[in-house]
Parts: sequence; structure tokens; C-alpha cells
Amino acid sequence: MSAVSTRAPARADRTTDRRPAAERGRRVRERQWPAYVFLSPWMIGAVVLTLVPMAVSLYLSFTDYNMFDPPRWVGLRNYGDMLTQDPRYWRSVGTTLLYVVVAVPLKLALALGVAMLLKNLARGRAFYRSAFYAPSLLGASMSIALVWRALFNDGGSVSGVLDTFGIHTGSWVGNPHLAVYAVVLLSVWQFGAPMVIFLAGLQQVPPDLYEAAALDGAGRWRQFVSITVPMLSPVVFFNLVLEIINSFQVFTPAFAISGGDGGPADSTLFYTLHLYERGFTASHMGYAAAMAWLLLIVIGVITLILFRTSRSWVFYADEETR
Amino acid sequence: MSEPLSGRRRLPRRRAVLAAAGVGLSTALTAALTACSAAGVGTTSQGITLTFSWWGNDDRAARTEQAVQLFEKEHPGVTVRTSNAEFGSYLQKLATQAAGGGIPDVAQLDYRQISQYAAGGTLRPLGEDIGNNTIRTSEMDRPFLRTGTYKGEQYALPMGRGITGYAYDSALYQKAGIPTPQPSWTWQDWATANRKIAALGLKSPDGRPVTGANDGGGNQDVFETWLRSRGKQLYAGQSRLGFTEDDLTAFWTFCDTLRREGAIAAAEDTAQAKSTETSPLGRRLAAADYTWDAPFPGYTALLGDAVHFAPTPSTDGRQGSYFKPSMLLGIGAHSKHPKEAAELVDFLLNDRRAGDILGFTRSTPPNRVIAARVAKTLKGPEREIYQYAQTMEQYGLGAPPTAPPRGDVAINRAFKRTYERVLFGLATPRQAAHELIEEARRELRS
Repeated sequence: MSAVSTRAPARADRTTDRRPAAERGRRVRERQWPAYVFLSPWMIGAVVLTLVPMAVSLYLSFTDYNMFDPPRWVGLRNYGDMLTQDPRYWRSVGTTLLYVVVAVPLKLALALGVAMLLKNLARGRAFYRSAFYAPSLLGASMSIALVWRALFNDGGSVSGVLDTFGIHTGSWVGNPHLAVYAVVLLSVWQFGAPMVIFLAGLQQVPPDLYEAAALDGAGRWRQFVSITVPMLSPVVFFNLVLEIINSFQVFTPAFAISGGDGGPADSTLFYTLHLYERGFTASHMGYAAAMAWLLLIVIGVITLILFRTSRSWVFYADEETR
Repeated sequence: MSEPLSGRRRLPRRRAVLAAAGVGLSTALTAALTACSAAGVGTTSQGITLTFSWWGNDDRAARTEQAVQLFEKEHPGVTVRTSNAEFGSYLQKLATQAAGGGIPDVAQLDYRQISQYAAGGTLRPLGEDIGNNTIRTSEMDRPFLRTGTYKGEQYALPMGRGITGYAYDSALYQKAGIPTPQPSWTWQDWATANRKIAALGLKSPDGRPVTGANDGGGNQDVFETWLRSRGKQLYAGQSRLGFTEDDLTAFWTFCDTLRREGAIAAAEDTAQAKSTETSPLGRRLAAADYTWDAPFPGYTALLGDAVHFAPTPSTDGRQGSYFKPSMLLGIGAHSKHPKEAAELVDFLLNDRRAGDILGFTRSTPPNRVIAARVAKTLKGPEREIYQYAQTMEQYGLGAPPTAPPRGDVAINRAFKRTYERVLFGLATPRQAAHELIEEARRELRS
């Protein structure tokens, strides 16, 4: 009895030395299956609703498919037609690029500016942060786009207010030179999301850097250029990538503001709107699928280029110390 | 750095990339998912279930339901499952159902869908049902029935007969000394009338000048009316354009010149006209608006009784207007109960009591006897459009063309936006006409 009792601890000691890895591995495996069970709704969804449709879409992009007759294999013809036969394709590319080039910098500049103001705010920062963030939650909705349309329409508030200052614009949404800027403003108005990220980034900048700079006699501008900008560059980069990707896909505001046709005179015909029209109005689903794939590739390439160039201008504090 | 990045904004990155793909994928999704949503047809234990879908407003929905209930009562064992949608989403829904293998047993169709659906094998040919009198057509006009044919075969039957005209403010016309328009008035008379109204120098409620009419340059229907009055057609058969670049250039130059003179609505007002309320006439910016007969009562409701319905102008007395099916009724090719479906079609089109219930909710009923019967009960603007149709019929109209080719949906949209390039000075009428014809040819080829 005593012999057993004295040997038992020894064996227990040995086994605890030997067993942990195997036992832990088995325990982990035992613990993993419930995870997969709980994940399965998502995984089934991802396969059925994302992967399979992606594969079908890729296939359709090489076919002539009008939703009535079975798809007919045409090889690369959709891609060829897009680039050489469709003048509106290039118009839509131009409009989208204009939008990206104007809306993204404006939105980020405003977001950074407001974040700088809020950073130094002693009281009520949480309130203002939420207030400025709210449009980002609402902005993508159809109802806001419709409100926007009303605001910029003939007799809407915007032209009314501008009239009192002697600026006669008339309807923005009915004017092919201004309509795209109504969409740009709707995007800029949603600066709250990048602003919140900028604000968090600004708070991460060590205050001693500013103190040291101030002691050395650096002014506010100097501090901004030499401390804030480099320290914030990873956040700028992150916001830039996000906003560019989002901007290439702008759809709802243009759809609502133009009444679905990219008008007037194709001035709000964004890439996605042209894609939608080709697919769902003109029933050229194969062509629309090809457009979607080309957009995916272009966004991928632009993102890749951004990541490559980022090495030369994005400053990571932790890398410097290494 | 890690703090903000781990926040909720990281999600959008992944979501954004997926969404980019997703846009195209929805295409595929559509095809994959609709296989499940194909019309729920089946024999129930009680008997037969038919599906029937249409689009329209509440009034039309209520009347249609009532007519269907009457049908069910007289066909014990047959249940009709109805579904109603708004026009824009209806067409897309039906297209996805067609892609997924089947539309409902009985479906209301747009004129522009006929060719595509018939060629794609989505619609059941009706020759047999008409031959054995399951669907009676004796009380309908032969040429009008032709609007539901594709390559000589009947695929759908019109449910209503619509016609276009100008809703106009008769008080303004009188003030400008313009005689009441007759079916024989010409496009030149129309242009002169517009100039006279602009010359009155009136101001609209928002202080802008009142013009003679809306600018119909971007409206394919106006062009077709103009073209037919000159003895031509929009389409030659169901695969080629019936007009040339010169025809279209002439039409767009005509509109462009009048607009530049200020005789018809300004570019920005044309661009934002999307409904009765936002039309130049609806905003009191013009004295007239080109429109279909069915929406005309909406103008009098908005603007008062001085608004009347004038004939479309002619060319040397030749009218370009024609009776167009406001909507048609067809049977799904994959229907399991084609006989009962045909009976429902016949009931909706020819039964006297159904006719009384449905009234003019789909414009003038194509069945002449029912139309005359229901017309007796009409009042006000509805009576006016009924009489307008009578007047035009007596004056003499050309036969309606067969259903437009399958590319027409796309060409119709192209027509509007290509003219917008003229409206805003981005292209000359000739350049724009060239562009439109190029695009139309591509659509007709594919």
C-alpha cells in the first residue's frame, strides 16, 4: 500500500514529463471539432455564396450569356470588345478615375484635418468623434443618396444657399459638369471613418517627440511635417488603400443620384454602374462578368503598386529601432 | 499602430476586395440561386395550382385579385397563386426566373420582352390554344394581335391598348392664340405653337421662362412617332434598324434647334424629368408634355381641368401614332398546366365580368366589346382618353409593328443618353446619331 503510494507520485512525475505534448495535441484536436461545427454555417456560406459564384462568374466572363439562352463560349471576346469596341467603357473608366483622384485626397485631407482639431480638444471629444463618424454609417444607404439627390436638385437647398451668395449653379444632378461632384461630396461627407483611425493614430504618437521638438524651437508646422506626418504614415497608407479600393466600387450614390442610368450624358457613369447596366438592363451577363474580373485585377494591381511604393514613404517606428 | 488597425475598419478591407469580386459574382449568384426559385408549380392534393405574376399599382392589384378570385370560384380545384411587383424590379425578377428555368404559368409581359422571351424558349406558343378556341381572339383587332408575335408565331396577347399624345395646358394655348390641335396638325404647326408660347414671355413659379413643350429628343417613342409619320419605321422586321443616320440627324437637329431657341424645355429640366411631377409641364415650365394615355389622368389631378390630351403631330396629315400594347399576357413554356393557364388568360381577356372588374386599369381593353361596355362608365380624364383613342382610330393610324427586337431594351436606354450628349453640347446631332447607330447595330448583332 505504502509502496504503491510512494511509487505513484514518481510515475505521475514521469508521465507528466513525457505526456504533455501528445495529450495537449489530442486535447486540442478534441477541442477543435466544435469550432468547425460552429464555423460550418460560415464555411458553407463562403463556399456556396462566394467561391462557387466566383468560379461561375469567371466562366461566364468567357461566354456570351443573356440569361435566356445557355452561355456560349466566346473566349476572350468580351475582354476584347470592352477594350476596343465600347466607347462607354472608357468613359466609365475616365469618370471612375476622376472620382478616385478627386474624392480620395479630399476625404483623407478633411479626415486628417478634423482629427488634428479633435486631438487637442479638451472636452467633448467623444461626442464630436461620434457625431463626425455618423455619416459613415449612414452614407452608403439608398435613402441618404436620395436625400442627396433632392439637396442638389433644382430648387434643392444647395443651389438655394449658393444663390444667396450670388452663385447660380441651378441643379447639380441635372448638369453633366457638376453631377459627378455631387457624388464626390457625398463621399467626402463620410470622412468620419478615416478620421477615427487618424485620431487613434495621432494619440499613438509619443508626446515626448513633440516636447523635444518644442524645446529645440520647432513651430507647429515644423512639428506637423517632421513628426506627425512620418509617425502617422502607416495610418495614412492604410486609409489610402481602403479608400482607393472603396472608391473604385462606388455604386449606390451614383445609381440613386442619376436615377440608375449614369446620366446626365454619362457624367456619373461609374465603372460599376456601366457593369450593372450591361448585365441587368442590356442582358449581357458574360460581358458584365468580364468587366467585374477586370476591375478586380486592376484594383489588385493598384493595391500591389501601393504596397511596393509604401516602402519608400511609410515609416514604421518599430523598424527604425531594430 | 496595431490599435486602430484592429478596429472595425479592418473588416472593410477584406470585405471591399470581396465586394469587388462580388459585383461580378452576383451575376453567377443569380443564375445559381434562381434554380431554386423557379415558379412553384405543382399539383396539390385539392387540385391544380397556377402561378400568375404582374406589375402595377395598388388599384390594379386589387382589381386583378378580384378577377382571379372569380376565376377560382368558377374553376373548382384550381388555385391561382398571384405575385405582384413594381415595374422596375418585376422585369429583372422575371428575367432571373427565366434564366433559372421557368417563369410563372401566366405572366404579364412588357412589349420589349416578347422577342427575347420567345426566342429564348421561355414562352409557350399560343397557336394551338387560339386554334381550338381555348383563348378567343374574335373580339380583338387582328393587326393589334400581331404585337404579340415573334417570327410569325403568337407568343403573347395584349392586355391593354395604349396610345401617345400631348398632355397640354389649353389655357396657355388659348392665350397664345393657338387653335385646338387636331389629328391632322403637323410637326411644323407644333413647332410654331411652341414658339408662340415661348413668345408670351411667361414665368414659371420658380421664375424661369415657360416654354412650349418638353424636349422629346431623348424619347425613342417620340422619334418613332415622328419617323412613322414620315412613312418609316423604327425597326425593319425584328433584326434591323428601319432608319438611317440622316433620319436621326434630322430629328435631333429639329429638337436641338427648338431648344436652343427656347421654344421647348431647357436641357437641365429634360435631364431631371422622370415622372409626371418632375416633367416640364408638371413643374409648369412648359405648356405640353408627350405622354401615354394611361398616365394622362395624373396630369389633370396635378394641374387641374385645363389640361387636355392633344394628338401627336403628323407629317402632311399622316399620323405616326399607333396603338401599342401597354402590356401583354403570356404562358410559361414550362407550365405543367398549359390548359388551365390558357383558360385563365382567356378569362382575363374575354370574360365580361372580369372586364367589368379590371376596367381601364391596363389602358383600353383589347377586347372591343368589353372596351365599349366599360367605356360607358368612364368620367373626366379617363373618358377623354377613351374618346381620344376613338378619334385617332377614326382618323386612321398605321398598323402597329411587330414586337421590337431583343436588343430594344438596351437601344431604348442608349437613345436617351446619346441625346443627352446633344442636350449638353457634348456632341452635334450628327455625331450623336452616328454613335447611336453604331451602338444599336452592336446590340442587334449580339
